[in-house]
Amino acid sequence: MYNVWENILAEIEQKVSPANFSTWFKNTSLLSTKGGAIVIGVKNSFYVKQLRSKFIDIIKDALLKNNIEVNTIDFEVQTSVKPKVRSREVTGTVSADSISSRIKPIKNNIESSAENNGLNSKYTLDNFIIGSNNNVAAAAAKSIIDAPGTRCNPFFLYGGPGLGKTHLVQAIGNELLKRNPNYKILYTPISHFYSDFIDAIQNGKGKEFSRKFEKLDCLIIDDFQFIVNKEKSQEEFFNIFNDLYQLNKQIIVTSDRLPSQIKTVDERLASRLTWAGAFDLQLPKFEDKCAILRAKAELMGADIEPEAIEYIAENVNTNIRDLEGEFSTILLMSEVRGITPLELIENGSVGINKSSKLRPVSSKQVIDKVAKFYDLTVKEMCGKSRVANIKTARQVAMFLLSKELSLSTTKIALEVGVKDHTTVMHGIKKIETDLKLNFVLRDQIEEIKEKIYG
Amino acid sequence: MEIEVTQEKLSKALNNVSRIAVGRVTLPVLNNVLIRVDNKKVSLITTNLDMAVVDYLPVSDSRDGVTTVPARLLAEFVSNLPKGEKIKITAEGTKVTINAGKYSSTINGSPADDFPELPEINEETAVVFKVGADEFKNGIQSVSVASSNDLSRPALTGIYFNTFDKTLAIAATDGYRLAVRKLIKNVQSEIKVIVPATTLQEVLRAMSDNTEEVEISFNEDLVRFRLGEVEIISKLIDASFPDYQRLIPKDNDIKLELNRGELLRVSKLAALFARSVNGVIICEAKKPDTFSVKAIASELGENESTITTEVSEDGKNSFNSRFFIDAINALDEKDIVIEFSSRVAPIILRNKKNQDYTHIVMPINK
Repeated sequence: MYNVWENILAEIEQKVSPANFSTWFKNTSLLSTKGGAIVIGVKNSFYVKQLRSKFIDIIKDALLKNNIEVNTIDFEVQTSVKPKVRSREVTGTVSADSISSRIKPIKNNIESSAENNGLNSKYTLDNFIIGSNNNVAAAAAKSIIDAPGTRCNPFFLYGGPGLGKTHLVQAIGNELLKRNPNYKILYTPISHFYSDFIDAIQNGKGKEFSRKFEKLDCLIIDDFQFIVNKEKSQEEFFNIFNDLYQLNKQIIVTSDRLPSQIKTVDERLASRLTWAGAFDLQLPKFEDKCAILRAKAELMGADIEPEAIEYIAENVNTNIRDLEGEFSTILLMSEVRGITPLELIENGSVGINKSSKLRPVSSKQVIDKVAKFYDLTVKEMCGKSRVANIKTARQVAMFLLSKELSLSTTKIALEVGVKDHTTVMHGIKKIETDLKLNFVLRDQIEEIKEKIYG
Repeated sequence: MEIEVTQEKLSKALNNVSRIAVGRVTLPVLNNVLIRVDNKKVSLITTNLDMAVVDYLPVSDSRDGVTTVPARLLAEFVSNLPKGEKIKITAEGTKVTINAGKYSSTINGSPADDFPELPEINEETAVVFKVGADEFKNGIQSVSVASSNDLSRPALTGIYFNTFDKTLAIAATDGYRLAVRKLIKNVQSEIKVIVPATTLQEVLRAMSDNTEEVEISFNEDLVRFRLGEVEIISKLIDASFPDYQRLIPKDNDIKLELNRGELLRVSKLAALFARSVNGVIICEAKKPDTFSVKAIASELGENESTITTEVSEDGKNSFNSRFFIDAINALDEKDIVIEFSSRVAPIILRNKKNQDYTHIVMPINK
């Protein structure tokens, strides 16, 4: 490209000493010539002063010689020595601003709609990543959106913290509202429900409180497990539940466990809640976690290598909230350091939250922890005793050795002191079957796992 | 031009200005010091085009005029003269004669016209802060340990002067650690600028025992530090500093009170062993009262020291020993407070009483 400034510089070079030229004119540029207002870019303000006082006439002559109209000459400080930018960085300067420019805001319109229905529009079905861990629940959610109040009513969703319960039920609410803006929806965590209820009673407005719910087309109750020991509220909820249910209104309830496992929940209510079945959200598998991270990266507009995603997915084993937390931390750190997330991981300067990373453990540790959990000595547990609780403990140990350490059944037989591998196979199968129905056992095993890895 | 001054005064002034006047090949006049007498006011000036140092020299007698002399040569000549000697510098054209009793020399200077004019702070629009010399010195020293030398990331080679909540704070980070200090409270103006760390080193060097106060004036792209007779003018770094407030973790669950000397000792002990494993040391808190620092160098052996202190939460994390020790050294009270967690979150170190200074160090993955 023809650059008039190069010509001008060549002109100036003839007139000043080489030392002056290379000191003062290197790294200058012509920024604007519009309407005779000349703007010249320089390195810093030390240069402005000198050029203006010593060289202004030379510059003016050179400009005129190149047929450029000159009315005024101004200087502007420019960081001409551009910082070396890594290829992935789009902007010249590494800055906090560039985080916000590269990572697009995820939609800031968090304000809930005029009716104050408790819904947050950032939760949608589109950004709910469906995988093998949640496809049944997601399918049920879709059927509700298509035909609310019919098939899956009430919709009872349960699963551990940070697995997306709130996201899914909020998404149902938002989607219903999108299809029919006149739909009356209320989303409320159970804690708000009972505190509002108490307020209403205290102010003698109990009637009004229940009337508020009568008009609803869809009621979403989050974190139902906190209903414990709130008998009055429970009764009120039971009544509202019955009224809405009679009218074929959609009811959605989430909890971290099944109603039958929540202490002090009325049996009638417990059974009603799971009339239409209970849907659970499980921990995502490796592929699901990768999919979640990829979607999140896309949503944030962030560049992250597939290897880095795999590393994070492999190492965070607690829940989706932690997964996203680690992901954001790594992105932020990589931004600050100016290196890519993968480089950050490879040079070891970032470690995944240790509690979420499952450390390798020995078979002895597993056996010790199981025995301790069931209040047995290792000797008692590993043997031939057929007392029910000892047998179960032994089977849990076999199950964990097989699932967590992938030991062969023959090896496990040796470790826990049973006759042969068939006993082990039977034991593991027994626990697997029990797990499907016995939630106490499920909780126990989770607790033991925490103890082993904690 | 002519000045008459004592050896001590001149030597000190030349020391202040001559450090930056070295090694510039493209424009030889930048290796010179400009001596100007204007209406009996004497100033010595040097510049490297990133910054300039001006020293207003109190003299016993003078005659107006201006000249430039190689700064290094003049400074070394004067510093080798006997103390208490009265020195007379006279310039005729480019010949500069220095007379001090029995000693005299003539140096070939160069015309003052070649010497660049300095940019000036616009006093009307400038944002001005004043801070006590000791606070300034301690502040800059404790923060600058965390600044970076990596020229490819200019923002991190400086110290960030920024205001928030009516407080002027200074911060520096190299991406692995961050140091922040609240410098002045109750300020009215707002600024967010990065001052080159090299400039601030120069300011610290120019401070003497009788410096009482530092006046800092900011323009859009310039800063001026005034300390008594010396003025340092510098460019600012044109880049954006990371949003460091977000880097300081708010929910670290392990909070400990430790004796600084004790922590420094155990960290130094662990650092000896950590040398062969890239400086990785492990800090671990165990209920009810044990805090330990250890290093495991598989070939060399290992080291573990414990300190007894109240612990309410278990957990451990690994850090780089050098950064960790730097952080402890940057604190100055007898008792300090550290906050960390087992998560990927930086450790926070602060003095127990005066919480104006915060130092954080990123954890490392073992």
